Amino acid sequence: MRTKPKRRKVIHKSRSRTPLRQLHRRDGYENHMASDRAVDRDEQEELISRDGTDPLSLEATFDQAEGRLQVPDLYTTLPPIKDTLTTDTSVSQDNIIQRCLPHLSASGSSVFSVNGQGIPSLERENHIDFLHSTIENARYIPYDSVRPWVLYWSLTALSLLGENVETYQQRVVETLSACQNLGGGFGAGHGQLSHVATSYAAVLSLAIVGGSESLDMIGRRALWRWLGQLKQSDGGFSLCVGGEEDVRGAYCSMTIISLLALPLELPPNAPTRARGFASFLDGLPEYLSRCQTFEGGISGRPQSEAHGAYAFCALACLCIIGSPREMLPKYLDLPLLISWLSSRQHAPEGGFSGRTNKLVDGCYSHWVGGCWPLIEAAMNASQTSGSTTTPKIRSWYSQEGLTRYILSCCQADDGGMRDKPNTIPDAYHTCYTLAGLSATQHYSCYSGTRNAEAGYPLNSAFHWDSSKKGPQRDMNKGEDFGDARTMLGSLHPIYVIPWGAVERCHGLFSQKTRF
Amino acid sequence: MGKYSDSAEWEDIVPISQDDGGPNPLAAIAYTEDYSEAMSYLRAVMAVDEKSDRVLGLTEDIIQMNPAHYTVWLYRADILLELQKNLVQELEWLNTIAIKHHKNFQIWHHRQVIMSHTPTLPSSEISFLARMFAKDAKNYHVWSYRQWLVRRFSLWDSELPYVESLLQSDVRNNSAWNHRWFIVFARYTDPEKHSIKNNDADSQVEPGIIEREIEYTKAAILMAPQNQSPWNYLRGIVRKQGKGLVGLKSFAEQFANLEKEDEVRSSHALDFLADVYAEEEENELSGKALELLARRYDPIRKNYWNYRRSMLGFEQVGA
Repeated sequence: MRTKPKRRKVIHKSRSRTPLRQLHRRDGYENHMASDRAVDRDEQEELISRDGTDPLSLEATFDQAEGRLQVPDLYTTLPPIKDTLTTDTSVSQDNIIQRCLPHLSASGSSVFSVNGQGIPSLERENHIDFLHSTIENARYIPYDSVRPWVLYWSLTALSLLGENVETYQQRVVETLSACQNLGGGFGAGHGQLSHVATSYAAVLSLAIVGGSESLDMIGRRALWRWLGQLKQSDGGFSLCVGGEEDVRGAYCSMTIISLLALPLELPPNAPTRARGFASFLDGLPEYLSRCQTFEGGISGRPQSEAHGAYAFCALACLCIIGSPREMLPKYLDLPLLISWLSSRQHAPEGGFSGRTNKLVDGCYSHWVGGCWPLIEAAMNASQTSGSTTTPKIRSWYSQEGLTRYILSCCQADDGGMRDKPNTIPDAYHTCYTLAGLSATQHYSCYSGTRNAEAGYPLNSAFHWDSSKKGPQRDMNKGEDFGDARTMLGSLHPIYVIPWGAVERCHGLFSQKTRF
Repeated sequence: MGKYSDSAEWEDIVPISQDDGGPNPLAAIAYTEDYSEAMSYLRAVMAVDEKSDRVLGLTEDIIQMNPAHYTVWLYRADILLELQKNLVQELEWLNTIAIKHHKNFQIWHHRQVIMSHTPTLPSSEISFLARMFAKDAKNYHVWSYRQWLVRRFSLWDSELPYVESLLQSDVRNNSAWNHRWFIVFARYTDPEKHSIKNNDADSQVEPGIIEREIEYTKAAILMAPQNQSPWNYLRGIVRKQGKGLVGLKSFAEQFANLEKEDEVRSSHALDFLADVYAEEEENELSGKALELLARRYDPIRKNYWNYRRSMLGFEQVGA
């Protein structure tokens, strides 16, 4: 095992000695969640003293007889059913499990300290170093087409890790000034055409670093006029003038429009005015509805394959247009969607895949994980109005599984987060794995009412609240894991930036009646 | 000094050098000299919207260095159409780029633009796509493009044998199952109107086709019962049929018999049966199937299975 002088390294006595499989099987327990949680006594005390939680709250999880590192069978053994037929898909799936198992059982090549439940700590300093380095230098020429994204991913991830990113304010403004086009919108760099995904990344980056200069540099009127050219006759949006149309176009456009409080009326030059459209919203929820596939998930365009990233874009877009409790049941078959979304979580890996029969990837921690708060807001609302015996579900997926995958498999040895073991970390995966991890630590609740308010018409997205979950304890019993060192900041569930950034934007623009 | 600055062909152009954004730009790129120079000339010609053969060559040069460059692709398409270039040649050139950079996706929109101006399907198109799928049979952008192509040239009937060959080599290829759905069912629906939420049951599909699809899917499940793709497909067909799942009860029970809980061969069969039993108002059986999923056969999704149990009025498993 490698040692690096720079890094804290704690190897638990039990970790190096006891074969994991033997440990779990000792009692023949079948229930992975409730009974297999043992915390090393020293580790537990260390943990309690650090985060100040009540020792009693962890007592039930402490295995006094063994006092050893415990990883539930669920994360260390092969799935209970395996078909004999071998195909390319099953070979890839088998390979990824073999790559993940050593990391999940904490017996692999991990150089990180692990807690008593076999979960590595979050290597904050390494990730922070990685992100500061990435935002300085994107290095590779292919990044020339996504530079505003590099800013967004890095700034969001740094915010989650508690870094003050206001220090980048001036440079963010200057960098993005070179990307903004007079005709509205941001390209990926100087002389590049405006693109709604890079515009989304640019606007969010400016919101994150804050400061009046940042948001004032956005040419809102030109942006509005340019967005009008993206509106398509089927209700959706293309990504750039003459470019392809998919659900990303809809989500990115509506994010920009609502955050900057742009008029909902289509500008006079919008081509779809000829078709009778008057508003950016015309035909939009119906378009998103048509992207739900027979599997229940949501595809990039009608009739393509259901895909986790497009699912988030579509759900978030619907939640910009209206409240989740109204919009989601109205435009989607929710039980079918929930079934498909739930299927995205794999064991033993613990992480999410983006499509049926594809592999887990750290980025879906957000794309799939980020769908759940939106669904929960829709479902819990409808449940309270009905039978009182139906409990509010506050976690539809295994947060423990996702946490294990992110911390065990996605942390690169030298900082940064990655897709899966043995892949190279990058800002994209660092942002979205940390966003997914953060969502396991914070509840996002919709607090709006049905009554429309005066002021800017698209206000649903501004009616969310966040609260920290209890110390490593979920409402579903047995879901306690992780420790205070993994705690991250929280993000707005629709705009995927810190809450303060959303408030700043909304405060600045929502009362503006003119450009 | 450079390819363009030394060229007599380009001497009338004053290149516009890169503005990275201030004295200390973020996300700085380590540009090569060749790339920087080509981009400087691109900015200059785009500023005056020049559409010419030499600019076409310039876009090719940049694409070779950075195929992810969406601006260059869009500009190139405009030039090709305005100069009325030979689009078949363009497609041939695109093939080499696509194979070399098979993860690149900008190329597929470009191909779609070119093909939308091509009156008939080039004979090599389908075999070229087969080469792409040989590299990655689940490439999302290639599949989206193929769907567009099928609609554009009405290729519905010739697609089925191809999909079957893909499923024969990998019955778990969910993209191929999705494409099967597309050519069998979506052909009868208007992508600008149809949605799962509102009108999924569909009387336009002939009963014979529904039967054929059910039989095909059942055979696929028999090959590998723990493969979720055909189970999802089967549920989709049943919804189209509008008849409920009960008719497939005995089929599903061969993979999961609640009396023999050690011998379950498919968690998806259990899931299916939970719905069948609920449909029959056999809530005890449905709850039992869900309990088996939560406790033993798919415990990573325990919270979801518990939710389904709660809808039937049962307590949670493993709480």
